[in-house]
Amino acid sequence: MKSITISLKINGQEIMTQVRPNKRLVDFLREDLKLTSVKEGCGEGECGACTVIFNGEPVTTCCMLAGQADGAEIITLEGLAKDGKLDAVQQSFMDVGAVQCGFCTPGMILTAKALLMKNPHPTREEIKVAMSGNLCRCTGYAKIQTAVEDAARKSQNA
Amino acid sequence: MREFDFYSPETVPEACKVLAQHKDSVAIVAGGTDLVLELNERKISPAVIVDVKKLKELEYIRIEDGIVHIGALTTHASIAAAPYIKEHVKILYTACAEIGSPQIRNLGTIGGNLATSSVAGDGVCALTTLYSSVVLTSQRGTRTMKLMDFFAGEGYDKRNALEADELLTEVFFEAPDDHTATAFYKLAKRKSLAISVIGGGMAVKVDEDGVCTWVSMRGGCLGRYPLQFKEAETLLEGQKLTLAQMQKTLPILHDTVLEINRSRPWSVFYKKESVQGVFNKLFAELLDQLQPYV
Repeated sequence: MKSITISLKINGQEIMTQVRPNKRLVDFLREDLKLTSVKEGCGEGECGACTVIFNGEPVTTCCMLAGQADGAEIITLEGLAKDGKLDAVQQSFMDVGAVQCGFCTPGMILTAKALLMKNPHPTREEIKVAMSGNLCRCTGYAKIQTAVEDAARKSQNA
Repeated sequence: MREFDFYSPETVPEACKVLAQHKDSVAIVAGGTDLVLELNERKISPAVIVDVKKLKELEYIRIEDGIVHIGALTTHASIAAAPYIKEHVKILYTACAEIGSPQIRNLGTIGGNLATSSVAGDGVCALTTLYSSVVLTSQRGTRTMKLMDFFAGEGYDKRNALEADELLTEVFFEAPDDHTATAFYKLAKRKSLAISVIGGGMAVKVDEDGVCTWVSMRGGCLGRYPLQFKEAETLLEGQKLTLAQMQKTLPILHDTVLEINRSRPWSVFYKKESVQGVFNKLFAELLDQLQPYV
């Protein structure tokens, strides 16, 4: 099996690296790049824990091969905080108490972030649809939804 | 995941060349939402994977001379976001807007949905209801065939007519006119992240007096490929389209599902009843869309 060379922009940084083609994107991010905020839940695209922002859209990285990230721009949770200051979505999840065990949280926050990047003032219904691909088995969804609304408000005032 | 060599061609001719060179053991990955799982679970282990996501030329929705052409690599999200589809091809809009989850819709492609040919493929049912055709491209040339012939074909993995050196490049169908209504209803355990239990597709055309001149009724997840309710269609053709007339087909839907799925007694008791609920929803939506003709 020939290794392949891929170049991509990850959390604002351009990288070029060799990768084994039979690695999924989630494994490449976790094992090769040590971006362990990317969680593997179901491994079947049905829970959203492995979500990253890929060219501006949320995608599940367990359904992708590492080679498919060539030329892409990816944001993981590690890329959200700037200069030691949490992103508004991260801050809101903490303020509202939208986190319990935390395993789904990186995916939740990135899905919410992708929504707010495209639509800074979403309605409750738009939030519900946008977040419908991320499962949480601890808290339920009310606080998560409130946190996204809170983040939208804060970004508006900032 | 077993080892394989990976190619990501940037043009269709280049992709066809790689497929032809490796046709003894090759698989195509587009969105990956089915294929990467099959690879990871070692259900398949091809020697070569061809990633077609860089074929930007296959991402399009074009309406030309009354025909809607959709490039195979158009994602479910892009189809659902296209104003023309939302307004004029409701059946495809709903199927694409409700499939999987937002993440899956951003990855999954309409060509992948058809090539995978899942029993529960929502795009499969919607596009079959519209009597769509597909274009298969290889170094040997281009083939165009009706979707149902595509599904009946025995290509390299027996799912459909695709041969190992071929790429599904386009799906196309007649653009519904303003006397035609189309609708899709997905019955599933949840709204999101759920595979269809029944995916009902229906399209109907009426004349100025509200008389049905053409109708297509299909049920996904009720057979290997979308089940056609021929007898029900016959009962509607030539008749004034009313809710009462449409509801006369419900016993036929019940009996057809019972007959076809006898070998699956664990699901048939539920499905023979629920298929009627699914189509009742479709009837209401179609009548609504067909105002003021009905």
